[in-house]
Amino acid sequence: MITRKTPLACDVLVAGGGIAGLMAAIAAAEEGASVILAEKANTRRSGSGATGNDHILCYIPEVHGEDPAEWLAEAEASQIGGYNDMDMFRFYVTQIFDRVKQWDSWGIPMRPHGDWEFNGHAKPDHMRIWLKYAGQNQKPILTREALRRGVTILNRTPFHEIVTNRRGEAIGGVCVDLNGEAPAMQVISARSVVLATGHTSRLYTPKTPAWMFNTANCPACSGAGRAAAYRAGARMVNMDLPMHHAGPKYFTRCGKATWIGVYSGLDGKPIGPFVTKPTKELGDLTGDIWMGMFAQKYKAGEPVFMNCRGIAEEDLDYMRWGLSNEGNTGLLDHMEEEGIDLHRHMVEFHQYEPILIGRGIDANVRCETTVPGLYAASEELGNFRADMGGAAVFGYESGRQAALSARTRTEEDAAAAGTVEQCAGLYSAILDREAGPGAPDWREINTAVQQIMTEYCALEVRSERLLSVGLQYIQRIQQKAEQMACTDCHTFMRCLEARDLAQVAELVIRCARERRETRGKHNRVDYTFTNPMNNDKFVTIRQEDGRPVTGWRSKNK
Amino acid sequence: MPPVIDKTKCTGCRTCAAICPLDVFGRQSAGIRVPEIRYPDECWHCNACVLDCPAQAIRLRFPVPTMLLYTDAPAISDG
Ligand code: SF4
Ligand code: SF4
Repeated sequence: MITRKTPLACDVLVAGGGIAGLMAAIAAAEEGASVILAEKANTRRSGSGATGNDHILCYIPEVHGEDPAEWLAEAEASQIGGYNDMDMFRFYVTQIFDRVKQWDSWGIPMRPHGDWEFNGHAKPDHMRIWLKYAGQNQKPILTREALRRGVTILNRTPFHEIVTNRRGEAIGGVCVDLNGEAPAMQVISARSVVLATGHTSRLYTPKTPAWMFNTANCPACSGAGRAAAYRAGARMVNMDLPMHHAGPKYFTRCGKATWIGVYSGLDGKPIGPFVTKPTKELGDLTGDIWMGMFAQKYKAGEPVFMNCRGIAEEDLDYMRWGLSNEGNTGLLDHMEEEGIDLHRHMVEFHQYEPILIGRGIDANVRCETTVPGLYAASEELGNFRADMGGAAVFGYESGRQAALSARTRTEEDAAAAGTVEQCAGLYSAILDREAGPGAPDWREINTAVQQIMTEYCALEVRSERLLSVGLQYIQRIQQKAEQMACTDCHTFMRCLEARDLAQVAELVIRCARERRETRGKHNRVDYTFTNPMNNDKFVTIRQEDGRPVTGWRSKNK
Repeated sequence: MPPVIDKTKCTGCRTCAAICPLDVFGRQSAGIRVPEIRYPDECWHCNACVLDCPAQAIRLRFPVPTMLLYTDAPAISDG
């Protein structure tokens, strides 16, 4: 039986304490709301910004000019562009510099070398849009700022379910307190709820199959917000369009733009058209915008390397500084242990497995989802993506909007809702079930989901037949997931994650079936045509009367 | 990618177990000074424990399958 903690109440409940969640909590508290933030691990070092970032998408009028048109065009043509609602992007442009200045004033060095410095992810003779900064301690600093504003942070308390009332409005959430010997259910009533659980990792088989947590973005982000939003009736968008990162092989990390080198073949010849020698101003954009480069070269028998040979000593120092702020001190330690010297050695890069980022919950520019009282921040969003900057801008805005709407909403008792009893039943079943022949552990479920997604909802080959049979397989895994058993708080948490992943996998497959055309990496071998009628149209999915309903909506231009 | 703790340096402050984003350390038994590492294969090699250990007692051990692949770099040529 699951233990129940005394229910809590607040104006704004924030699910997830990464950069976006902390920014949401800070903004809501500044608006005078009482705020509870539920975090799976510890906000001081959790999420994809755990040990830092070194670049953020930023528009500064005094640097880029008063008219942001050129900046916007550059950003929308970059690796984060393509499937964004442009009203979100235009709002972003008006906000990001304020957030950057805010962070600077809180002690996150946003111009560590004196002036605003834009380098990397850039084309020759084009506007540079990525601001370099020193973010290694961004999480402890944002945690301190949230606490200063009176935010209650519940660490080791992952968010699991949204509680809605009869009218379908969000009135709170169910979390699980993992601080004790056994998990305990924590119900929190809230006038509005902000989802900020990040991107979704662990959906596809990683490049090191035996090391599931060797992922580019934080592997603790496992789709809790997306799965809960869908169950609560929120509309999801762009789940069909695959997205993947690339980087060092097999030490999987984000931050390829922090490297200062040239993508080259084994012969040292540059592969892309942009640079012929390492430059810190540009990096090598080829890996960002020729998304198929690594796979295509591999198929042609060509490994691809990051070749830094000829780099100036001071640029190498700059790159090391960047990597240490990008959360890659572990990678630097590993290079040292291995004796890798970038003056003489080049490191092989490859394409990573897909993740969900910029594919997820549909929200408007106020971060409102289609469920009243429910807000989505940053990497939860399916219609906007700007990574760290997205977390700063839409984290903050989601919290502000949630606090404003909380003023107009009355508090309802979330603990009295039927959802809470369903959660209690689910948790008790996982806890009380004996490990046995019919009771899989979380890792079996997670691995099974990854296998099906990798083969039946792949990057290279998608078809109605593969997707429809893949859907059946995922549904069978979902049934088996209902029989999972755990051993302690830790594996209980992983069981809930595996369940959410199986749910999110189903949504991706259903949306991929809906898009009967090839577009980008959504490679439908049964519909090879890219239909211009679908330009600027997004696939959506939502639950109605317990059934998934897919549809289409236009991109906001 | 498990952290390895130098027992002679560790003061038992538990910072590492408290801040690990993946709960690699898991639940700690009472009365033990050096933290246990219960889920070593769930490490994300984020290095948070290494950075935040006040005694500088932690290093990561990188499993062989995650090693970087590298080779000699020829000079970059346009031709
Ligand atoms: S943080 Fe360092 S000193 Fe503290 S318990 Fe962990 S290893 Fe020991
Ligand atoms: S490197 Fe990161 S994930 Fe691994 S044990 Fe340390 S804090 Fe945890």
